[in-house]
Amino acid sequence: MTMRALLGGRTTRDLLVVVVLVFGVGSLAMLLAHVSPLDGFGALFDGAFGTREEVAETLVQTTNLLFPALGIAIAFRAGLFNIGAEGQLVLGGFAAGWLGAQIPLPAVLAVPMVLIAGTLAGGAWGAIPGFLRARFGANEVIATLMLNVIAVLLATYLVNGPLALPGSGASETPTLPHAAQLGDLVANSRLTWAFPIALVLAFALRWVLQRTVFGYELRAAGDAPEAAKRAGIDLGRTALVAMTLSGAMAGLGGATIVAGELHRFNTGLSPGYGFIAIAVALVGNLDPLWIVVAAFAFGVLQSGGIAMQAEAGVPRDVVSLVTGLVIIALAGRRVVATRRTT
Amino acid sequence: MSALVAGILAVLTLTLIKATPLIYAALGGVLSERSGVVNIGLEGILIAGAFTSVVVSGATGSPIAGACCGIVAGALLAAILAFGATRLGVDQIVAGTGLNIAALAAAAFGIVLVYHQPGATHEVPAFGRGGETALIVLAFAMAVLLHAVLNRTPWGLHVRACGEDPGAAEAAGIDALRTRFTAVVIGGAIASLGGVYLALAELDLYSDGMTAGRGFIALAAVIFGRWTPLGATGAALFFGFFSALQFSLQRAGIASELMQALPYLAAVVALAGFAGRVRAPASDGVPYLRS
Repeated sequence: MTMRALLGGRTTRDLLVVVVLVFGVGSLAMLLAHVSPLDGFGALFDGAFGTREEVAETLVQTTNLLFPALGIAIAFRAGLFNIGAEGQLVLGGFAAGWLGAQIPLPAVLAVPMVLIAGTLAGGAWGAIPGFLRARFGANEVIATLMLNVIAVLLATYLVNGPLALPGSGASETPTLPHAAQLGDLVANSRLTWAFPIALVLAFALRWVLQRTVFGYELRAAGDAPEAAKRAGIDLGRTALVAMTLSGAMAGLGGATIVAGELHRFNTGLSPGYGFIAIAVALVGNLDPLWIVVAAFAFGVLQSGGIAMQAEAGVPRDVVSLVTGLVIIALAGRRVVATRRTT
Repeated sequence: MSALVAGILAVLTLTLIKATPLIYAALGGVLSERSGVVNIGLEGILIAGAFTSVVVSGATGSPIAGACCGIVAGALLAAILAFGATRLGVDQIVAGTGLNIAALAAAAFGIVLVYHQPGATHEVPAFGRGGETALIVLAFAMAVLLHAVLNRTPWGLHVRACGEDPGAAEAAGIDALRTRFTAVVIGGAIASLGGVYLALAELDLYSDGMTAGRGFIALAAVIFGRWTPLGATGAALFFGFFSALQFSLQRAGIASELMQALPYLAAVVALAGFAGRVRAPASDGVPYLRS
């Protein structure tokens, strides 16, 4: 069974499942915490949309999920499970933070350098499982899972050890020079040009997937690997390129978090964006434009969750719980309709 | 001289302590994967076993009751994966990933509900020295038992057949769906003992992130041990040994991060085939549904 057969096809049933999980499980959890769901969700939505700054923060969270989710979609569409977006994002952030603090350049050059560094680092980290798959047939699921942990340990080691910069504290790089920071779009917020960049990338990715030969080959490799092979598509090369691009997208996301939000690399820069992004990609049906919508929905949960905890006293973990359940629920979508005969 | 002996003994003891939860989790993974279901959710199962056993031990005052409920929780979590994999044909990777996220969050939420504080539970009645030793011995016994069951019993043969070619197994009269379901659930029960060990033998509480990726190290042990119970146990001991050495090596100037990365690097190397021929069961992770 191909990945598209597994995951393809947007149905109202899927959306219904997501809505029921979010509001059903959310309400149940709030009741367990002795909070009225009206108050809980009220605090959540108020925290996500209440003020201009809060709307900006919701878009920040949307952006942080959008980059890795688009990357995951590239891999999934090519029939490859990239569970490693988290590691790719962390290493992208490290490369961006380290180089940005290391090399003083004027803003015109510094910002592109920081973003490109993150993209390359994430891409390289994604290329490893792609190469292992293409060359040795190694299972990319386990490889990316392992490389996630290795990435975090590697970044921690480098930032504390051999690549520690003068003035850097525990597990972080010094603050980036102003020239290397992404400009704010909204005053008093962390919303930067990363958001429009992510949107443009989503449209570009859709165009590449639907309208180019490369996109066609990628989808063919995912939908019908046997037929693609017979049609002369190099599956190994496709795997390598797809995993590299996938990692590059997550790495760029890590770089924008460093350059736009934290202004330094910190080993704790991601609260699991790379994993939540799996839910985003699945809810978005692996279609870049729907992924934008899904990233916004999860962005609301992420940014509103903080207020829900602070204002209504509902632990934020409810958001992660719902996210996990959404992933489980969508793991089987459409499969019932495409039961194969073995 | 006696200091050296004492030092070696201390490292070996610590190796056993560090390896035991890995052995349980890896054995659960082996059983599940030999039947053809990849269990990425081992980490979540460890969490379920650890958290549940602490809550029940705290409520009843009996660590044994806690352990039993921890096992049931692990088996239930595995049953979700097993049901999805055998009846709905869900993608096992995606479902397992979701299980890990959900279990971690559910435990964190549960801590707040039960103990009205974030981060960690209270201390609860735990196994003493005797109980800890028993759990360590049981891990090795379980490895030998699983080895015997897989290789010497009809059910073990059925499990392996389902992992290689469920269609052929069904043609030979084996109920592949039921065999896979049972294997995954029993695997979950075994793996959850790793969580019980962590929470009630090594410590006496549950705290957020306590399992610290041991479920993933166990997955690495399954691969490094070539999908066999004894191999996975050996790999778990190997990883446990390096974990035990960590403190000494850190003092010798070797960064702890590099030591911690070792199991994961070993798994990647094994996957790439640098460590001899490594072959997963042919239908590992491939959904099988009757037409």
